[in-house]
Amino acid sequence: MLQQVVNGIIIGSLYALIAVGLTMVYGILRILHIAHAAVFVSGAYLGLLVYTYTQSLILALILAAVGCSIFGWLIQRFLYTPLLTEARIVPLIASVGLFILCEDLFRLLGGPYIRAFKVDLWFDKLIFFDTVVTAHQCLIVIGTAACLVSVYFLINRTKLGLAWQATAQDMDTAKAMGVNIKQVINFNFIIASSIAAIAGVLTAINYNSVLPTMGSVPAYKMFAIVVLGGLGSIPGTIAAGLIIGMAETIMSAYFGFIMPRDAIAFSAMILILIFRPQGLFGKGV
Amino acid sequence: MTPILRIEDLSKSFGGVKALKTVSLDVGHNEILGLIGPNGAGKTTLFNCVCGVFPPESGRVLLKNKDITRQPTHRIAHLGIGRTFQIVKPFKNLSLERNILASLCKDRTKGLSPIMFGTGLKKHRQEVLRLLNLVGLEEYIDQTPMTLPLGHQKRMEISRALALHPKLLMLDEPFAGLSQEDITPLLQVIKNLRSEGLSILLIEHNIPYVMELCDRLVVLNFGEVLCEGTCEDVQSDSRVIEAYLGS
Amino acid sequence: MGLGYLTTIGTFVGIYIILTLSLNIISGYAGQVSLGHAAFFGIGAYTSALLTLKVGFSFWLALPAAMIIAGFIGAGVGIISLRIKGDFLAVTTIGINFVIVTVFEYSDFFGGAYGIMGIQYPMLFGLKISKFYYLMLVFFFVVVTAFFCFLISKSWIGLALETIREDEDAAEASGLNCAKFKIIAFAMGCAFAGLAGVLYAHFMRFITPNDFTFPVSITIVAMMVVGGIGTIRGPILGALLMAALPELLRPLANYRLLFYGGLIVFMTRFQPQGLFGENAFIIKKLFGQNLRAAFSKRNRVGGEEI
Repeated sequence: MLQQVVNGIIIGSLYALIAVGLTMVYGILRILHIAHAAVFVSGAYLGLLVYTYTQSLILALILAAVGCSIFGWLIQRFLYTPLLTEARIVPLIASVGLFILCEDLFRLLGGPYIRAFKVDLWFDKLIFFDTVVTAHQCLIVIGTAACLVSVYFLINRTKLGLAWQATAQDMDTAKAMGVNIKQVINFNFIIASSIAAIAGVLTAINYNSVLPTMGSVPAYKMFAIVVLGGLGSIPGTIAAGLIIGMAETIMSAYFGFIMPRDAIAFSAMILILIFRPQGLFGKGV
Repeated sequence: MTPILRIEDLSKSFGGVKALKTVSLDVGHNEILGLIGPNGAGKTTLFNCVCGVFPPESGRVLLKNKDITRQPTHRIAHLGIGRTFQIVKPFKNLSLERNILASLCKDRTKGLSPIMFGTGLKKHRQEVLRLLNLVGLEEYIDQTPMTLPLGHQKRMEISRALALHPKLLMLDEPFAGLSQEDITPLLQVIKNLRSEGLSILLIEHNIPYVMELCDRLVVLNFGEVLCEGTCEDVQSDSRVIEAYLGS
Repeated sequence: MGLGYLTTIGTFVGIYIILTLSLNIISGYAGQVSLGHAAFFGIGAYTSALLTLKVGFSFWLALPAAMIIAGFIGAGVGIISLRIKGDFLAVTTIGINFVIVTVFEYSDFFGGAYGIMGIQYPMLFGLKISKFYYLMLVFFFVVVTAFFCFLISKSWIGLALETIREDEDAAEASGLNCAKFKIIAFAMGCAFAGLAGVLYAHFMRFITPNDFTFPVSITIVAMMVVGGIGTIRGPILGALLMAALPELLRPLANYRLLFYGGLIVFMTRFQPQGLFGENAFIIKKLFGQNLRAAFSKRNRVGGEEI
């Protein structure tokens, strides 16, 4: 049982990391950012590239984060911002188009096959009684915790973070109060994308694989998590990510094969939304 | 004679905050009743409770002696209450003609009758022109509200409400945010409507226009009726002055 | 390119046009974003396949039956949309797509992951109709669907749906029952998606759950948006263009998806109202102005333009 809980936490942490960026983008721009999954995959590829040349995991994480921040910023600047005044479905479709484009680009650049991402850490695994925690899993937990703590710090303890909170509440009022919206949006995309990059690298290490289509399941499954968390709520999203990760692992381990893993998140989401239309952790309307 | 609208002991609270505390008032035949009070006094909440946007906790709303409490909004519109919104809500991308026609839909889309697939919308152009003429907008019939100034949009909303052939018209701050050249025609429109026999319930902050239009006033403060009476009575009431200026 | 190949492409394009037009009733007219339309495409296909194979219905009887069933399940989504709104609804419809495909995939009744094989080609007067006549049949249903949409756009119900898209509060205050019209919109849109499913099933003659997944829904939405949401020509031309596009891009072979994605990005970025929508570049070039201006000038009573 404990073993499954550990595995669930690992999967859940990765979900939470990807979904946090998505919920941040939604919180500010009200866009369902499907191309976030493309940022996530590009993070994995960048990380692999840097790691292959330098053998330094730290450098791989940092450079992946920097590269993806630029990527995310470019998406924001040249795709989303010009479309903000259009019907909400338009940026969504643009985002889908970008995701298709990127997925094919990764295939062309990185090859259609699975590439290994093997990282050797200074220990192999920890064993508590009969529960095994691999070094990679430790790395994921530490990485996730570090990311989430930094997001918490950036949003609650910096001036820009306060501006971010104000903008997420109400963009027009924030603008009227003298918040520099442009800066907030840039800040938002840089943080969201760098976290996605780190999630990409960690996911790749966890499964020891990088492949062009590794983003297609997260692309939509993350929406179930973000919606469960209440669309735009960061703590809600983290909790929802962990819950879904655990539910998937434990259900497929103990109740056998009732339905595919990927359908669990959506079934849970639909059921919960019918009773709480504002999401599990959303504010009442 | 029974009043057009009678509100009896209406109460409503939002998460513990009492927005309305046993409010009662009457709107008489062919009367313009002004509803005034400081911001947050519960005026718009009262409107929304009457129109069924959200249900009151207790109390009754009677339209010509018929209980309409807790009816859905569209039913209440059918029964004869036309309203406008504090922040205008035109159908932005539809022409004024279609904006007004929307209110004529009600008779043609009852239940699941196939009449709703009827395409005779064009036949009602004369009726739409007449309704727009009441508010002086007939020349803009083919334009969308987006291309019109705020004053015109507010008049369009009145026209859309009139298309319901209402017994009572409820106007939520019709003069807010308007310039002088928009206000004069709007004042005239409201006066004309009254002279044609319509009853009007009006929320407004601009006291001079309230005094010019209304027969009686009800002052709301902290969700309670502070006082009611003719304009002169209310104007000289010390409690009203206190509520507005703060004690 | 042989004639048979062109007939096949034509049939697919027709099916996509029906799908895009039907989604347009829900998203274009009533303004409710649905990202799970392929599920109803699938419901139509599976219903018809099962009715013809297991119950022994003829194609002509299975077709309306499948439409009705898809319409009823669609009305169920309409009821959900009363409670879950906006972007929550959009994501919920993704979920519905997922769950329905999962049901197809993991229940033996629906043939599991291998789907259903051996679906019959429709018979007419006791004869199996040819591929070419099947294309004509699809074309006939495209015309029926387009005419139905035209009827809606000109009718009272069309106006009611548009007002709900524009502003629900104002629509209610104007005496319109938003709940009823949303359910009707979902029922109508999904019924026509079911029609497309029937046509697909009996053309392919074997269907798998994979044919109705979320990416198919996204394709339908993209066709509608790229063409011009809320119009009739938009979805038709959008579906025509984007269903034919992969074939046109065939010479690019390895780079097809790259261009496909790139074109979606490019078109939404620079023609966000759609390639054939209200303010589209192409329409302006053809008519010298946008259509509404051209139309209203004809009908103007008096007064001048601002």
